[in-house]
Amino acid sequence: MKRSLSTRLCSLMEKTTSLVCAGLLASSLACAEPAANTGIFIMGVDGMDPVILSRLMEEGKMPNFAQLAKEGSYQSLGTSNPPQSPVAWSNFVTGMNPGGHGIFDFMHRNVHNYAPISSATRVTGGEAKTLHFFGYVIPISGGELENNRGGTPWWDLLVEQGVDVEVYRIPGNFPTPPSEAKVLDGMGTTDLRGGFGTYTLYTDTLPEKKKPKGDIQFVTVRDLDLDGTPDTVNSILRGPPDQLHLEPGQIPHDKDYLTTGVTVHIDPEAAAAVIEVGGQYIVIEEGEWSEWLEVTYDLAPMGLMPVTGTVRFFAKSLRPNFQLYASPVNISPSNPVMPISTPDEFSAELTEALGFYYTQGMPEEQEALKDGVFSEDDYLKQVALVQQDTRLMLDLALNRFEPGDATFVYFSDIDLQCHMLWRHGDPKTLGAPHHPAYDAATAKGHTQDIERFYRDVDEALGETRKRLPEDTLLMVMSDHGFQPFTRDVHLNAWLRDNGYLVMKEGKTTGYTVGSDVDWNKTRAFGLGFNGLYLNIKGREEQGIVDPAEADALMAELIQKLEAFKDPAEGASVVLNVRRGSEIYNGPRIAEGPDLLVGYNKGYGASDESALGQITEDVIANNTSRWSGSHLMAPEVVPGILLLNRKLTREGHELVDLTATILSYYGIKALPEMTGEPVL
Amino acid sequence: MQAYNNIASAIFDFLLTPFGHEFIYFDLLFWPVIMGIGALQVYKVASNQAAITRVKTQISMHLLEIRLFRDDLLQVLKSTGLIVLKNFIYVGHNMMPMAVMLLPMVAVMVQLVAHYGYEPSPPGSVEVLQLRLDPAAGVSSRDVSLQTPDGVSLDAPMVRTADGQVFWRLRADRAGDHVLTVDVGEERFEKAWAVGGDHRKIPVKRLRSWEALLYPGEEAIPAHSPVLAIEWKGHTRPLAYLPDGELGILLWTMVLSMAAGIALKDVFGVTL
Repeated sequence: MKRSLSTRLCSLMEKTTSLVCAGLLASSLACAEPAANTGIFIMGVDGMDPVILSRLMEEGKMPNFAQLAKEGSYQSLGTSNPPQSPVAWSNFVTGMNPGGHGIFDFMHRNVHNYAPISSATRVTGGEAKTLHFFGYVIPISGGELENNRGGTPWWDLLVEQGVDVEVYRIPGNFPTPPSEAKVLDGMGTTDLRGGFGTYTLYTDTLPEKKKPKGDIQFVTVRDLDLDGTPDTVNSILRGPPDQLHLEPGQIPHDKDYLTTGVTVHIDPEAAAAVIEVGGQYIVIEEGEWSEWLEVTYDLAPMGLMPVTGTVRFFAKSLRPNFQLYASPVNISPSNPVMPISTPDEFSAELTEALGFYYTQGMPEEQEALKDGVFSEDDYLKQVALVQQDTRLMLDLALNRFEPGDATFVYFSDIDLQCHMLWRHGDPKTLGAPHHPAYDAATAKGHTQDIERFYRDVDEALGETRKRLPEDTLLMVMSDHGFQPFTRDVHLNAWLRDNGYLVMKEGKTTGYTVGSDVDWNKTRAFGLGFNGLYLNIKGREEQGIVDPAEADALMAELIQKLEAFKDPAEGASVVLNVRRGSEIYNGPRIAEGPDLLVGYNKGYGASDESALGQITEDVIANNTSRWSGSHLMAPEVVPGILLLNRKLTREGHELVDLTATILSYYGIKALPEMTGEPVL
Repeated sequence: MQAYNNIASAIFDFLLTPFGHEFIYFDLLFWPVIMGIGALQVYKVASNQAAITRVKTQISMHLLEIRLFRDDLLQVLKSTGLIVLKNFIYVGHNMMPMAVMLLPMVAVMVQLVAHYGYEPSPPGSVEVLQLRLDPAAGVSSRDVSLQTPDGVSLDAPMVRTADGQVFWRLRADRAGDHVLTVDVGEERFEKAWAVGGDHRKIPVKRLRSWEALLYPGEEAIPAHSPVLAIEWKGHTRPLAYLPDGELGILLWTMVLSMAAGIALKDVFGVTL
């Protein structure tokens, strides 16, 4: 990494000037600062849990972590409330809690229609205006999406002081806010379709799940040369929505996406095929992943507005059943249709060094595993590709790191694998009863998978320590820990059964959005994974709760929810419920939930409830492959903190790390930042 | 076709790259300017200079009419119509010199692309080799086989398609100018693969049709062969501020040669 001019000048002057000059130098703030430290290198390990880590260290399976803990410090780290990745990483990035940065959950609520909306973006520039021209819908102004995260990222403050910063795959940074630092967006970055990862399956057989989340293309393998062996498949690969034919806000249907042709030629004898996309050919063997292929979609005629993406294929089965899997079409890092980094060209610079890499926010294709399209082995094969990307990025970051720099590298695998593979065996409580989604046949050979991912990060830490200058501040941290997720809680069903959410006559189930709920009688509703909102008069579109009565209603809800017992097991479902106004501070408190439901370990909001669905059951076994979670009370899922420095006290939180990074460079934290340096 | 490629390549292999293939910008500046000057000479001889001067004068005159009689709608319409007509005439006068210039210019550009448009495959890289059979030849793709030299290995089974194509995924194990051997029935073909090392003239495609004239890096496939083409996709060479590879060279050469022609037209007494 290129060092700042002031750093270079300082270095030169230190070698050549007299003591007098050195005295002058010391008095210069700009020069004294970079020379005062040797930089900071942060490994951000999403979902690393202190209980699992401690056990593995004790068992000698994490030697590099154990050594770092011995030579420096190791403790658990307070997570955000709620302990959700977008919230937690925003705390770390801005040094504020959600009341300051405005990210309260994966999902927020639309006060006008009670619909769940993404917390990641907000619309600016007013209502979108368009011009209709020969069937095209041309955007004129307004309706721009920007990142909803408020506050100032720590890297901006460092760059202002001349520090060279590189941040690899930071969650919650898409859409990309302007910055002078080199930042590559991570979790939250969409695929080219604008979602969080829509795969395509070309198949001549039905998939396991009735409503899979992927784009299922039923195909026929035709016998083109009439030799009795089916050999050719013709289909399409959907890309971005055809924005020039969609009204602003219009949800695209299948026909509204731009497409490119895909032809698969299967060899008559060998278990191999050629895939032809956009005039490019790749040869693929059965059971193998292809390299990345750049695909182009034409938004306007004559190639005037090309949109490029990258895709890779997995030949799951060629014969007798045909199943070809295509990854979600990622935004091409070499030619991104919208920025996925700052500066814009940083993503392309990385492509030159690394080749194509996953740009979609959650690169592990867990939807395919959830849908039964992937077996465990298929999934782990894909995860290995993501790990390869991560290790290459770490390698590059270490190569570019120079004393005085600040670098952050994100590790996603432990988080995703704890979500997906926990059901095979609880790594936190050995010998715990089987997860409801446990299946002995599937679990065979996979009970130690999570441990393996921990050990992989240990290996990465070992490599990092070997290559970093000894006196560089090394910080290893996670945003939260993990717990088993065995019971699905349908919060809206609980609210209905307890009289807080009232359905319209004749309905017992439905959605908060639409006409299923009687809002004239409803006092509270749930949206997001931990959020509970009151239907406040003057705030919600059809609010009925007088603001003066809100406090009493919240007290009642807290008391009842904390007393909520699982009818099957007798355990407390909710560990604690906190008021947003009590735990948050900052200008955006009003945007957040009124109450934060902190589920007990093992319990968590169902996907249905998080999206505003009111189901029949209040609580049910979680039989999904998504079997580990952290969307609980922050107290049961703390993260970890390791430093190669001795810490004198415990009880630190994510926001304290922001303050630590700034103070390490002698930069004063902004008044709105709430943390205290740990060093 | 092959005789032409041999002669043209012999000449340009000698003329091009006086400073080697690394120093690309000498040729990318020198040859377009030479082409621009050459085009001026061709234009001077092959065009009717008097007629071109006359039609340009007439266009200027009609433009002046529009300016002078702008209040007279009929006159403006008439002059506009005449300008369009004279423009067609002007374009017509350019057809002959264009046709004469086209071939030598393409010949130079083809050589520039062959020398500078591609770079060798990196050692360790994996590439797809594609062979297209002539459906009229009646040869089955099952009768096609490949022998790889040391330094090249097959990375996946070969794939034969129902429409008469064969694909191999090959790995370049080490640098070198490798020669692969493809047997098709009784006939044997060679295909070069440039891997690693310095920039040089890169063989990308071997073709049977007239298009072989555009790829002089290797011998054309004989006219009556059952094979239409054996080709790599090729690695386009990055050209700094220009689009990579072939496109960059073609655009740059066209623009610079035209600019040189316009800049030097008075020096050579040519009316464009």
